[in-house]
Amino acid sequence: MTRPGLAALPLAAWLLVFLAWPAVYAVRLAFTDPAGGAFPSLEPFRALAGDPLFWRAFANNALLPPLVVALEVVGGLALALLLAGRLPARRWLRTAVLVPFALPEVVFLAIARHLLAPRGYLNGVLAGFGVEPTPWLAPGHATAFAAVVLVDAWHTTPIVFLMLLSALAALPREVEQAARLDGAGDVRRFAYVTLPLLAPTLAAAILLRGLDALRIFATPLVLTGVEGVPVLSSYAYHQWSDQGSDGAAAAAGVVLAVLCVLAAIPLLARRSPA
Amino acid sequence: MTAVRALLVATLLAAACGRSDRITVALAVLPSELPAYRAVVSEWERTSGRRVVLVPQGYGDIRRAIAAEAAAGRGTIDLVELDVYSLATAAAAVRPFDPAALAGLTDALDPAAVRAGSIDGLRFLPHRLSWAALVWDATVLDRPPDTWSDLLAVARAHPGRIGFKGARYEGLTCDVLPFVWSAGGRGDVLDDAGARAAFELFADLAPYLHPDSATFKEPTIAEAMARGELILHLNWPTVMTTYTALGLAPGRLRSAPLPRGPAGRATVLGGAYVAIPRNAPHPDAALALVRWVLGRGVQARLARELGWFSPRTDVPPASDPALAGFVAMRGAVRPRPERPDYAALSRAWQDAFRDVAFHGAPPEAALAAAGHGLRGGRP
Repeated sequence: MTRPGLAALPLAAWLLVFLAWPAVYAVRLAFTDPAGGAFPSLEPFRALAGDPLFWRAFANNALLPPLVVALEVVGGLALALLLAGRLPARRWLRTAVLVPFALPEVVFLAIARHLLAPRGYLNGVLAGFGVEPTPWLAPGHATAFAAVVLVDAWHTTPIVFLMLLSALAALPREVEQAARLDGAGDVRRFAYVTLPLLAPTLAAAILLRGLDALRIFATPLVLTGVEGVPVLSSYAYHQWSDQGSDGAAAAAGVVLAVLCVLAAIPLLARRSPA
Repeated sequence: MTAVRALLVATLLAAACGRSDRITVALAVLPSELPAYRAVVSEWERTSGRRVVLVPQGYGDIRRAIAAEAAAGRGTIDLVELDVYSLATAAAAVRPFDPAALAGLTDALDPAAVRAGSIDGLRFLPHRLSWAALVWDATVLDRPPDTWSDLLAVARAHPGRIGFKGARYEGLTCDVLPFVWSAGGRGDVLDDAGARAAFELFADLAPYLHPDSATFKEPTIAEAMARGELILHLNWPTVMTTYTALGLAPGRLRSAPLPRGPAGRATVLGGAYVAIPRNAPHPDAALALVRWVLGRGVQARLARELGWFSPRTDVPPASDPALAGFVAMRGAVRPRPERPDYAALSRAWQDAFRDVAFHGAPPEAALAAAGHGLRGGRP
């Protein structure tokens, strides 16, 4: 074996033991009858199909990522455009924007939970204006879904913001100056110059965050529990942890993996040079 | 290169030799409980000459670890602690105790708790017991509700401020069963009069439940109570230890017996059991440690220092005023129903409760629908 081949051996062994083997094991578990141990069997998938919570998780997993990513792209772009300019104290403002992402996820979500709890800070502020308390995170309320979308977007918008801010800094000034000399206003310069030049970075941000958002887990779980706004990963965790159904958990994981692959194909196709 | 290999082999040999006097114990103790338990075990280390490695883990992880070691045919864990709920699932992965080796010990333990640990022989010994009681806010209520009608009256007077652990998990079953039993129900079927009476009560309580009840588990319901959103809920004794540490108990938050139903009071047996895995490398040492930990002196010390309820009948509970309600429930503790399909039964109770409490289903219809998949609803 060549020297580079030998050097790659530890990595290959690591991937085999800690990635390939658990993945194969999980797939096998997903196709094993939990009662009799027969393989292959679709029993775990039949159990999922008969569980209304699974279908809610599936629907939420299809709805949440586009909404979250759309908010992040719009918010991240707006913040990047605003803070790329020569604002006073812009370094402080940039730091403030990054704080939610810099905080450990559980800490950030615990803060959000205290903010949105029935006797939380938000309802406390609203009470000051004479507004009745709202059960923001109560299961079955549209506010719980909206809260998950907003909090998750709030937490991860800094990623999109950082990507776009660095892309804006790298844009060639000459093109914009030429457009300005030709009489293009702010809106036209943004629509016809800045945005097209940012398109590759925007596409990369959407690809990165789109795939990541499919695996959304902690935000709905910490804010609303499994039953509030279920998603496939929190549903799999529920089956594994609360119900002790390893097979159903693995089957839900397989469904999520298939969903990720299906979503990645068109996103990657758009990114290809062809 | 040869020197490196020799060093590696020597290190491995040293590690292997060093392990012969070391026993590994996987326990589901809280981080705050570990130092006290560690101190207790270190006394046994001094007398036995063995070293004990305590591995704090969740019950689910411990169960999966011994199942994996049983499947592999060899093991590293000598003694485990398991939740009473997971005993049936874990039975095949642990070895039965030899009754002769436990002479004098089992007689001192709560017979119902010992019975719950007997699955094809005595495989699990109760390590610490636990059961649910009512936790109530003394700054809002003058006294805790004593009967079901008191409970309903409190709920009506304070809408949105009573809670159940309503997430779809075993904790919900532990909230449901005491009511079924206190109405005279058996708990192992969903279609008896007791079950119907309990679910009629749940239907009456439903409009007044805290809006997050559908997702509450032990930690989240305890957190809501600490924030002042709830004035009462059912929980385990450990919650009072947390409240005491936060300065909330026994002043503001207190414990009380569960409300009395038409057939009296009842609560569900929880707690943790110890067992020796099938492939434990040092089963004799593990047995000696079990005998020592379940001895009267150690159990009294654990009760005093950690507030644990001992399975020994000759060890009284700690005189902690925060735990008064739990102590008062001791005579009303019942083990969960013994059914081979207990997991399915538990899930049926959870589904029926959630249908009634959160989806407005009529009690009888919800019970019938949930019990449908349970081999005709009867064992």
